[in-house]
Amino acid sequence: MPGGAEARRAAYLGWGLLSPALVLLLLMTAVPTIYLVYYSLHHVDLLGPGTHFVGLANFRRVLSDPEILRSFAVTILFVALAVAIEIGLGLAIALMLARRLPETNLLTALFILPLGVAPVVSALVFRVLLDPAYGWIDYYLQSWGVISQPIDWLGDPLNAWIAIIGLDVWQWTPFVALILLAGLQAIPQDPVEAARLDGAGPVALFWHITLPFLRSFIAIAMVFRAIEAFKTFAGVEVLTGGGPGSTTELINLDLYRLALQDFDVGAAAALGFCFLVLLSVVMQQMLKVLGRNTDILEE
Amino acid sequence: MTFDRGADHGTAFTRRTAIKSGAGLAFAAATFPRFARAATPKPDRLTMLYATSEADSDAIKAAVPDFKKAFGFELRLDTMPYNALQQKAFAELASGSAYYDVMIVDTPWMPALTHKILPITDMVLDASRLPAGELQIDDFIPKVFFDTAVYKPDASYLHWDGGSTIDPAEIKKRGFEIFGLPIQANVLTLAYRADIFAEQHVTAPQTWDEFATVAKKLTDPSKRQWGTTMMAGPGDWATDDFKTLLACFGGDGHLVNDRFQPVFDSPEGRQALTFYVDLIQKLKVTPPGTTSASWDTAATTFGTGLAAMSPNYHTETLNPNVGGRISYAMIPKQVQYGPHFGTWMLSINSFSKNKEWAFRAIAWFTSREVQTKALATQLHPTRRSVYAAAMQDTGLTGKFGNFYDVLGKSLEVGVGRPRLTNYADVDRAIWIAVNNAARGAVAPEVALHRAADEVRKLLADAGYKP
Repeated sequence: MPGGAEARRAAYLGWGLLSPALVLLLLMTAVPTIYLVYYSLHHVDLLGPGTHFVGLANFRRVLSDPEILRSFAVTILFVALAVAIEIGLGLAIALMLARRLPETNLLTALFILPLGVAPVVSALVFRVLLDPAYGWIDYYLQSWGVISQPIDWLGDPLNAWIAIIGLDVWQWTPFVALILLAGLQAIPQDPVEAARLDGAGPVALFWHITLPFLRSFIAIAMVFRAIEAFKTFAGVEVLTGGGPGSTTELINLDLYRLALQDFDVGAAAALGFCFLVLLSVVMQQMLKVLGRNTDILEE
Repeated sequence: MTFDRGADHGTAFTRRTAIKSGAGLAFAAATFPRFARAATPKPDRLTMLYATSEADSDAIKAAVPDFKKAFGFELRLDTMPYNALQQKAFAELASGSAYYDVMIVDTPWMPALTHKILPITDMVLDASRLPAGELQIDDFIPKVFFDTAVYKPDASYLHWDGGSTIDPAEIKKRGFEIFGLPIQANVLTLAYRADIFAEQHVTAPQTWDEFATVAKKLTDPSKRQWGTTMMAGPGDWATDDFKTLLACFGGDGHLVNDRFQPVFDSPEGRQALTFYVDLIQKLKVTPPGTTSASWDTAATTFGTGLAAMSPNYHTETLNPNVGGRISYAMIPKQVQYGPHFGTWMLSINSFSKNKEWAFRAIAWFTSREVQTKALATQLHPTRRSVYAAAMQDTGLTGKFGNFYDVLGKSLEVGVGRPRLTNYADVDRAIWIAVNNAARGAVAPEVALHRAADEVRKLLADAGYKP
């Protein structure tokens, strides 16, 4: 059958053209994952001949450590709070910038500045600003009479949480605002005009026209930000070091400590694998949300 | 035998020298097989891995041109900040890389490295190839030398307990080895504002009780003036503050003894931590932010004139607009002295292809002559003779005051860390306890009890059985 042969040839050609990308993808994802699983089942002695198979011992160890379980909870809370605030604030900023005022271009340029600053640098600057002895924040809050005593931002758990969330929000809200601004500019004007003619006010317009049109953009921003927020390390490491006590200890700080300070590669691999599973589950759910809100993923 | 170091040093090779050398080499071959080979050819260069700021890399950089003059070949120096340095050193040693001939090693790393760092005891015993008087091993401060460089290869948790005389033959006889030569000795000292002390008619505190009294007297928050800094933030510094107090109050400042028992959850430990918490919470003699302070922030707080005293490892300086004077005192004692100390040493990569030359290089860099020159950049020397020289140098005393006098005396009574491959975890368990107590989240005795339980678990996980 000439038609069947041609289809097979086309299929072979397709697979042939696809194969370099597939091989690359396998090398970049499957191989490291297999490597991770292999090490998670071994006690790894980097500096001696003591590497040996230990079964699930590394998993038992990390999953029975209350500090690490707490770090999982801290990480999830951090991501949920940071992303929620960034979506809310990002939407407000996007709505402001979408009004096409003469100052819009300048404001947009200013708003995206934090995106260009390395997280470590941002954290170092925040650390100095928040120092209760010589930082600007407490100094001005006291000067303006807002507070009578300096606030120990990094020595109190609640304040330390405000600081790490504040740093993340300062750094990443512009990214969310840019995505939502693109969404706002893509909203067709016909339904807006029609609603206005029907007497809809600003709140009704936002609720019934703008928000439904923005849903897919909000979902995209949420997924992107959640992925990045789960990867947060440098900012929190520099700003709080996981403290006070271990109240802001994210799972990435534990991973860093196990792998690169204790050089306990087996335990770090086991923890990394557990984190990968958690991320896969969370991301799967988020992609479902994204899929419900975007035509592209539904198809 | 005359040792030819390079172009600037001629070799006087006579028949008599040849006979003496032959006899010497035969003796060395019989006695010290590792070092018995003929001197290896001069390499094109040596490479050294060094710490950027923690071990005064400026001093080493300044000595590099002199090294080339003395040896006739270059020394390539790579410097890195602490965390990157540790990762780099461990990665190089784990992969068996010969790239770095000489590595700087911090004391907490060494228990894991006794099979990767070259023991140099045999080379020290056969130091005849070095210029006369260069090594002078007994010139090193004994406490510093034993805590930093002497380990039992197959029982790296053991501290040296064979007396305070540095005798390489005795070290070897007792199954220990020398793993490097100390280069930078850090110890907690007390920097204080001499101008404020004079104004308030107080003297440097000799005991911790006096310290609390002086700190209270010099605290006046309405003038933004506090008695002292402390480093109760989450990090190694909080453990170091606590272990210093623990030792001063009569406890074992090593925190964990050589039988793997946590020894900080003791009456002395509870007394020490309670005293520490009281300074911060009850007496309020520390500036706001103390429970998140580190070495760096404490130094900045003192430098900006907000505190009158500052126990620290750091070289302390005052901002020009503060306009005061700094003097130094030993960390006070209570029943004994016990300032925390930790020293860096220069060691030889066991995979190096230039081991003999690397040994000559570390002997040269840690020699009295080179360390004395490095005083100008405030290297913390490891030799007694260099401290004696520093105190007689009016240029140095004019510039640094009594810094070297206090540093030298403090090193003689310093207390090091436990020797554990998982010290980073043990350290963390203790600093979390100190930080939690310091900010009033838990009572000192509860914090210490929890930390001791955690440390026991960590030690068991790491295979340390009491």
